[in-house]
Amino acid sequence: MVPPGDGAADEAFERLVVPELDVLMRVARSLSGNTADAEDLVQETLLRAYRSIERFDGRYPRAWLLTIMRNANINRARRRRPQLQRDPDTAPEEVADDGRSAEDDVVDPVLDAALDDALAALPLVYRRAVELVDMAGLSYREAAEALGVRQGTVMSRLHRGRQRLRERLAATGLEGDRT
Amino acid sequence: MTRLIRRRVPDHLSCRQVAKVLQTHLDGELDDETASAVAEHLEMCRRCGLEAATYIELKEALARRAAPVPTASLERLRSFVAELDAHGAE
Repeated sequence: MVPPGDGAADEAFERLVVPELDVLMRVARSLSGNTADAEDLVQETLLRAYRSIERFDGRYPRAWLLTIMRNANINRARRRRPQLQRDPDTAPEEVADDGRSAEDDVVDPVLDAALDDALAALPLVYRRAVELVDMAGLSYREAAEALGVRQGTVMSRLHRGRQRLRERLAATGLEGDRT
Repeated sequence: MTRLIRRRVPDHLSCRQVAKVLQTHLDGELDDETASAVAEHLEMCRRCGLEAATYIELKEALARRAAPVPTASLERLRSFVAELDAHGAE
């Protein structure tokens, strides 16, 4: 890769990262717990990626970015960084806006509310695996990159997490008692 | 990227064998050979078919709960990338 600052490299950087912004935000939301911190984490990830693009071989940009995000998140847990680019005048409204429309909430409100409770009750390691694969759409391998664990660990956390969700939903009479 | 989980596939899978790989199958992470053996079993076995339907329903409900990323966030991040390109990382 050409070093940053070069026009061609900048174009390559933009082409690599822009298609991944949505998934990066979804993963960051799972890792940080809210949209505002997620956006800061993605910005930190992009900055680190930009600085290290010379060392990137151009293959699997998503896996590369997820690994950078994992490391950035570990550092963030050690020290809070100043916000990079958010406009303080607009931030509070947007934090409250999770992007969900009223329509999204009427598909099956009872099941969805029960699912929210069940998710909140899951141990964090299970919840993250479920969020990354079922809600952010990552593959097992990508989730393993994001969490810094082996693929088999992702599988076992994910499968146990879903099993627990089923049990909890079955206990509320909503799911899992079909047979 | 090799992400498919390879397993030895007998001609016909038992319910117990299917149960072990069912979630991996529904996640699309099984190799083609195992996936088609599992699919064949699910066609014929009502109990495993219902088990699969339950997990599919759960996965769909979870996907529905995934809030979209706010457009304003994505716009700010795109601007951030453009800013990096224009001025570098200083």
